Amino acid sequence: MAEVVSPVPGAGRREPGEVGRARGPPVADPGAALSPQGEIIEGCRLPVLRRNQDNEDEWPLAEILSVKDISGRKLFYVHYIDFNKRLDEWVTHERLDLKKIQFPKKEAKTPTKNGLPGSRPGSPEREVKRKVEVVSPATPVPSETAPASVFPQNGAARRAMAAQPGRKRKSNCLGTDEDSQDSSDGIPSAPRMTGSLVSDRSHDDIVTRMKNIECIELGRHRLKPWYFSPYPQELTTLPVLYLCEFCLKYGRSLKCLQRHLTKCDLRHPPGNEIYRKGTISFFEIDGRKNKSYSQNLCLLAKCFLDHKTLYYDTDPFLFYVMTEYDCKGFHIVGYFSKEKESTEDYNVACILTLPPYQRRGYGKLLIEFSYELSKVEGKTGTPEKPLSDLGLLSYRSYWSQTILEILMGLKSESGERPQITINEISEITSIKKEDVISTLQYLNLINYYKGQYILTLSEDIVDGHERAMLKRLLRIDSKCLHFTPKDWSKRGKW
Amino acid sequence: MSKLSFRARALDAAKPLPIYRGKDMPDLNDCVSINRAVPQMPTGMEKEEESEHHLQRAISAQQVFREKKESMVIPVPEAESNVNYYNRLYKGEFKQPKQFIHIQPFNLDNEQPDYDMDSEDETLLNRLNRKMEIKPLQFEIMIDRLEKASSNQLVTLQEAKLLLNEDDYLIKAVYDYWVRKRKNCRGPSLIPQIKQEKRDGSTNNDPYVAFRRRTEKMQTRKNRKNDEASYEKMLKLRREFSRAITILEMIKRREKTKRELLHLTLEVVEKRYHLGDYGGEILNEVKINRSEKELYATPATLHNGNHHKAQECKTKHPHHLSLKEEASDVVRQKKKYPKKPKAEALITSQQPTPETLPVINKSDIKQYDFHSSDEDEFPQVLSPVSEPEEENDPDGPCAFRRRAGCQYYAPRLDQANHTCENSELADLDKLRYRHCLTTLTVPRRCIGFARRRIGRGGRVIMDRISTEHDPVLKQIDPEMLNSFSSSSQTIDFSSNFSRTNASSKHCENRLSLSEILSNIRSCRLQCFQPRLLNLQDSDSEECTSRKPGQTVNNKRVSAASLALLNTSKNGISGGITEEQFQTHQQQLVQMQRQQLAQLQQKQQSQHSSQQTHPKAQGSSTSDCMSKTLDSASAHFAASAVVSAPVPSRSEVAKEQNTGHNNINGVVQPSGTSKTLYSTNMALSSSPGISAVQLVRTVGHTTTNHLIPALCTSSPQTLPMNNSCLTNAVHLNNVSVVSPVNVHINTRTSAPSPTALKLATVAASMDRVPKVTPSSAISSIARENHEPERLGLNGIAETTVAMEVT
Repeated sequence: MAEVVSPVPGAGRREPGEVGRARGPPVADPGAALSPQGEIIEGCRLPVLRRNQDNEDEWPLAEILSVKDISGRKLFYVHYIDFNKRLDEWVTHERLDLKKIQFPKKEAKTPTKNGLPGSRPGSPEREVKRKVEVVSPATPVPSETAPASVFPQNGAARRAMAAQPGRKRKSNCLGTDEDSQDSSDGIPSAPRMTGSLVSDRSHDDIVTRMKNIECIELGRHRLKPWYFSPYPQELTTLPVLYLCEFCLKYGRSLKCLQRHLTKCDLRHPPGNEIYRKGTISFFEIDGRKNKSYSQNLCLLAKCFLDHKTLYYDTDPFLFYVMTEYDCKGFHIVGYFSKEKESTEDYNVACILTLPPYQRRGYGKLLIEFSYELSKVEGKTGTPEKPLSDLGLLSYRSYWSQTILEILMGLKSESGERPQITINEISEITSIKKEDVISTLQYLNLINYYKGQYILTLSEDIVDGHERAMLKRLLRIDSKCLHFTPKDWSKRGKW
Repeated sequence: MSKLSFRARALDAAKPLPIYRGKDMPDLNDCVSINRAVPQMPTGMEKEEESEHHLQRAISAQQVFREKKESMVIPVPEAESNVNYYNRLYKGEFKQPKQFIHIQPFNLDNEQPDYDMDSEDETLLNRLNRKMEIKPLQFEIMIDRLEKASSNQLVTLQEAKLLLNEDDYLIKAVYDYWVRKRKNCRGPSLIPQIKQEKRDGSTNNDPYVAFRRRTEKMQTRKNRKNDEASYEKMLKLRREFSRAITILEMIKRREKTKRELLHLTLEVVEKRYHLGDYGGEILNEVKINRSEKELYATPATLHNGNHHKAQECKTKHPHHLSLKEEASDVVRQKKKYPKKPKAEALITSQQPTPETLPVINKSDIKQYDFHSSDEDEFPQVLSPVSEPEEENDPDGPCAFRRRAGCQYYAPRLDQANHTCENSELADLDKLRYRHCLTTLTVPRRCIGFARRRIGRGGRVIMDRISTEHDPVLKQIDPEMLNSFSSSSQTIDFSSNFSRTNASSKHCENRLSLSEILSNIRSCRLQCFQPRLLNLQDSDSEECTSRKPGQTVNNKRVSAASLALLNTSKNGISGGITEEQFQTHQQQLVQMQRQQLAQLQQKQQSQHSSQQTHPKAQGSSTSDCMSKTLDSASAHFAASAVVSAPVPSRSEVAKEQNTGHNNINGVVQPSGTSKTLYSTNMALSSSPGISAVQLVRTVGHTTTNHLIPALCTSSPQTLPMNNSCLTNAVHLNNVSVVSPVNVHINTRTSAPSPTALKLATVAASMDRVPKVTPSSAISSIARENHEPERLGLNGIAETTVAMEVT
């Protein structure tokens, strides 16, 4: 029952991909494979070998976003269609299935308003393609010869993108055209100054589309970034970027880090500890007062948050860094940022559990903490949108568990059936009303019965919840929170 | 039973929802169709991403299994947690404090360098460590400073030396290394930094630019119209406060200066005591020479040069007294001058035409006023030291950057006003601001209005300008000027301000010769005239015999008049030859020697005036200056302080020949310079100026350089005669603290007294002099005189560039 009725729009699993394929260039007829260039260029689509989680080989369709040449060996930056960008990677020639290559069509450039179905945000599409082709007759080898030359080429591509008016990726869902209005003229303007996430990605370009840092060493961890982050450009060519675990300063080499550590005596985030239970602590950092840490944190976070924007300074934000203590110090596990004053009831701007700590309950702990703060403030809150896939899952999971906890905790009074209003749930949990409703919907708890709405807790919901709660060992203890909210509106500008 | 026609009510968040559980649950078939009645809530995700394969798979899995399944999670790039050198990297342990960690905001910025050494640097360090010790942190600080001082263009080695307080060799090594590394560096800086936005908007789309400033307009409340007015008021308030600060700072400086003067006076007394100069003879010797260089020199030197000489003798003692008086007068500042024992002087000064009377009085007062409370005559309002550069100055290599510790003067507007003030003199005035009535010594004539400037290599170039007065001016005989030139000494720099209508009456559109002369005489018109050469009686023979050569050579050290003379001899573009320079150096030393000899005769009466010194040593004064200069400007500063009195004494020796006491040949030096600063600077001995300025710019960091410099210079300025060495040293001391220098001190500030003290210390210590080969006078040496010469030439310039630190 539950799997049949999916309240999520467009939830049919392979549907978007299929649509993409259907509307894309026709699948490899032999003539197309032997294109005039005979080269694999940006915009080509072809199956690329990839190993999935179950360690099986699969050949998902991918798009070539960039080509580079490292000591005579060509590397292709591929984006797997319908997979998240974080899985984009550089692959060698051997992993490409050239038999099924689809070259980007020159003329078949659909008007942008009709959408470019299935294409990823900001992928270099036909416009870029055209640009490349204009160049290629003059230069016999269109692909780049050195990694350094990736920049200029991408720059050209980016300009081409920027100049392209009305570039908009559109979903294949009907309706909701309103988000294209703000930038339909295509003139890139400075983004809005509130919030920390971008949903309008019309300024996106090939540079930000691709990961630029290969590896980050942070404490005992080595992280593979998921997305672009604007670390100084000269550092992007390094095999490893070394970060100080405590102040998050970046260095070129291990030697630099060693030297830095002789000067850096931080053993915890440079803020005030406002929560401590066991080894878990939370530190509050003011984005205005501690700019360098806030910026370093943002740069690191950007590696794992696609929609995060670092366009503006960190002044209007507070950063809550969760740490785990051991004898070496307070190690950063994750963080969330929060606007000092939010006009849209956001209680979280960006939220991230660092990859080594993921899937261990820390994300939920962060979320729980953010709602604890809202409870102290006496407000309801919601995370800033858009949510990422992982963000959506985490929040849904948190909301579900929190709401179910309340619903199941309600005892019937004097034989009456227990009842509760949505507002009450919202007040108790500080979860914004809309999120409560969407969760109830998502869990399929809300039903209309005999002229009124009822909440139904089915057996498998209850069982599932109980099983999940057994696994959820990390909880926030509100008694350990020492936090007095500040009224930022009285402090002038932040 | 589902009824499709049935329409559910909207979901009311305030309405209680009964909860059904387990077996109580109604048949959900009855409920199915209702879902559409509840509006679908957006997930909050981007539409495209929402449909991603792994997410959808995870969502489905969750809905099926009600919990996460390992294989159904969203895959992410891997992360490893196996950095095996972690414990070696992060040394030591950190104990969790009992209390919550609370951080003090001011603890955050420790003064550690941002630059972190890499292995390449380590190689260099290892190499350098063979010769000297340099610690990694020290190296990092150096690189850090270099990086932070450089923007688009690198700092020069000279700047680097000022920036880094290290050994010269080390600086050079590190600097060269840094320049090389920086060239090979791909980034804009060796300290990796986030790209900054440019304000012109060109970086709006640069993906590597991050953390842009949020520029918001000043928000004024909509219904408050007076917001702008109150903003203006706040601005005004701010301006006034900053003015108050300026005033207070100047008061502070004045008080400091006063204290300095007191100390120096004390020092003079002490030194005299040690010298046994109870009668004030030595002091007077020095002071006579000194005072002649002052603008506010004893007013007794009016009208009659001969009279001056007699008076000198008479006032020997009073002179000494007056010095004390000065000191005490400082304490009760602004006391009326007439109370001074130099009443005689005052009377003479009052004798000139009545119109100039108040002027002179004023200047007399000024002498002890230390230009502190005379804000009105000091129109240069200091701009606030560190005005935040919030304004929208466009970025770029040419953007103006304020230097820390540097005060910038607001533009001066007063000049324009003065030209309009008096229409009749207007055209003359106009000329005057840039051009000055000028007289040459050889050939002896007035060349009309001209302007002196320094060309390449220190050549003095006269720019002449033709005026309608030229025919008249040509008739001016320099002798006419000479006849009253001594009176011009007491010119008040503010004569421009106090010009009265009465004075303007004589000024026709085209002035007659007599009018011009009278204008000059009454200080309304400045006249630039070379100093007349005076010789002391005992030396007269010798000096006159050498006169041509001397005059040429003397130019190097003396004031502009001689420079002018040189121009007339060598033509406009002609410079001085090396040979001339050398002979001049020798003569200088000779003069010195003679001077010294006289003093020695007075005191010891057994020294012959003609001591035989090797000529090589003779060239010491300037030579040592140039030598030391070569290594660091600080050396120059120090040596100049010490050696300044020597050349000036030799000049004075010549001056006394004619009995006139011109001040550096500038008859009316203050004509265009209305600021006290420039006036004072122009009047005090110029090497002193440059010395003081250099000392001040160099600041404390160079004090260690000062002592060696002094050690080398002070003995060299003296004959290498052991018997007279101590004596000479004392002389030096006295001259150092002689009134002119006192004035320099008072006009400038802190470091120069320090330098003087150092000079004293150095001079009174027995040091082995650094041997300076005479052959070292080269073109390089000459170039090193540049600052000095600039200082000299600054005499007649309108302003003396100064950095007030």
